[in-house]
Amino acid sequence: MIAFLVYLFTIIGIYGLMSLSLSLQYGTTGLVNLGEVGFFMVGAYVSAIMVMLGGLPIGVGLLGAIAAGAVFGVLMALPIGDLRQDYWAIVTLAAAEIARLIFLNTNLGSPYVGASYGVAGIPAPWQQHFSTAAYGYVYLGLVAVCVACAYALVRWVGRTPYGRLLKAIRESDEVALALGKDVRRARIWAMALGGGIAGLAGGLFAHFNGFIGPDYFMPLETFLVWAMVILGGSGNHLGALVGTAVIEAIYNSTRFLDISQAHASLVASLRMVLIGVLIILVILYLPRGLVPEGRRRYGGSRAAQR
Amino acid sequence: MLLSVEGVSKHFGGLTALDEVSLSVEAGQIFGLIGPNGSGKTTLVNIISGFLRPNGGRIVFDGQPIQGLEPYQIARRGLCRTFQITLNPARMTVMENMLLGPRTQRGESIWRAAFEPWAVRKDEAAHLERAWKLLEMVNLHHHADEYAGSLSGGQKKLLALVQILMAGPRLILLDEPVAGVNPRLIEDIVQLILRLKRDGQNFLIVEHNMQVVRQLCDAICVLDMGRVLAQGAPEEVLARDDVLRAYIAAGGQVGEQAG
Repeated sequence: MIAFLVYLFTIIGIYGLMSLSLSLQYGTTGLVNLGEVGFFMVGAYVSAIMVMLGGLPIGVGLLGAIAAGAVFGVLMALPIGDLRQDYWAIVTLAAAEIARLIFLNTNLGSPYVGASYGVAGIPAPWQQHFSTAAYGYVYLGLVAVCVACAYALVRWVGRTPYGRLLKAIRESDEVALALGKDVRRARIWAMALGGGIAGLAGGLFAHFNGFIGPDYFMPLETFLVWAMVILGGSGNHLGALVGTAVIEAIYNSTRFLDISQAHASLVASLRMVLIGVLIILVILYLPRGLVPEGRRRYGGSRAAQR
Repeated sequence: MLLSVEGVSKHFGGLTALDEVSLSVEAGQIFGLIGPNGSGKTTLVNIISGFLRPNGGRIVFDGQPIQGLEPYQIARRGLCRTFQITLNPARMTVMENMLLGPRTQRGESIWRAAFEPWAVRKDEAAHLERAWKLLEMVNLHHHADEYAGSLSGGQKKLLALVQILMAGPRLILLDEPVAGVNPRLIEDIVQLILRLKRDGQNFLIVEHNMQVVRQLCDAICVLDMGRVLAQGAPEEVLARDDVLRAYIAAGGQVGEQAG
């Protein structure tokens, strides 16, 4: 049981990074990014390739995953920086799928990256120094540190004038433009920041799971992350993490049910139904999510000036 | 001359929204742009502010051609606009809206926010002080921490106006500053605009309310069917028969709104 909880929290942490990424991009900036899983996949593959082919340390691989996610975010945003939300939805969805189809159909000239067979035997950091039981905690600790850093980053962004501009873009990009703001540039940066965070999630996943394949990065993953952000409270980064915990707990809960093989796929589908129902209930009764977006108060600063 | 529009045309498919429109706005005056619904006023405002591209013509602001620039580039040169329906970020507080106003803020670059935190903090403090003064001027200071979306229609117009003032523009384009505002607040807005003019602020105003146009404007331009029908001092222009006829043909708004 405890081993399962360690596993569950590690997964929550990895998906939590993706939720923080989407929370910044959609929750704060209003960018309809339906290609969230693309960052995750690019990060996973880049870190695996750098470590296994490049012989680089895993830390460098993870930094590579961050950079790759950020670059992928910029590439997605460049052609659509000026456009409306509907265009963002279709372009980001397509970009992630294109990237997935590339990984599905090429082995990049190497025996490791096996197209549809995926990449097996991805090493984990410091594994030889610990017993299998203890290693779970070590990796959970690594993931927790990453989540804490990412959370601190997005919180900090929210308190800068740049973060205020992102919120203004979410609410009305026309007003931001009329006030002389370079909206396109701000959007591209939001995609880069969020892309880097989700790229890190991908790298952490690759080294945690030891195996990655194109099937892991279907658009469904993106929608799970969306469910997490909407459930938790769009615009609140803590809410994104809460939403991640709830969705992952539901997603992994069925393994304790005593079900026969024959019903396994039925139950797997029922999990998605349950998540769907939960989303509908939240939208109906808690439209701002479990943890609503907060507002920054300035009232005190007026008294201070007198 | 502050702003000059020279022979600007705009076609939407087969429809000619603006046909060789020319006008000029002098510094130190409030310039009114009026005309019946569908005469092309908002199209012209959108073209001047860069939200639409003209099919032809030139726009010169402060001695520099600005046609073809991006909206934010035009705003950075000191020509800022408001919107007919106030679009102010609803899920941001009144104060956050105000702090968004200043045109180029160091902290809006993520790098400078990270590496020059003290300079950014100093900017914020200065903006905050100015924002409190402006909010007090329009009596919105009690609402500073409320969401802009929860303000009344008139208060939203006031917020849009003081937010633009935070940007410190040379010329403000006000698109229908009193439309949908209750009569008591209309007088407040008119007095505020007159006061700002005395302080040296330049305005170009699009407005339907003739009473307000007479009170505010030093010069007006009447658009009808995408053409300039008349230009000059308000009393003379509004007394002209063809101007009156244009309004009556479009639904008799002079009678309704002249009050």
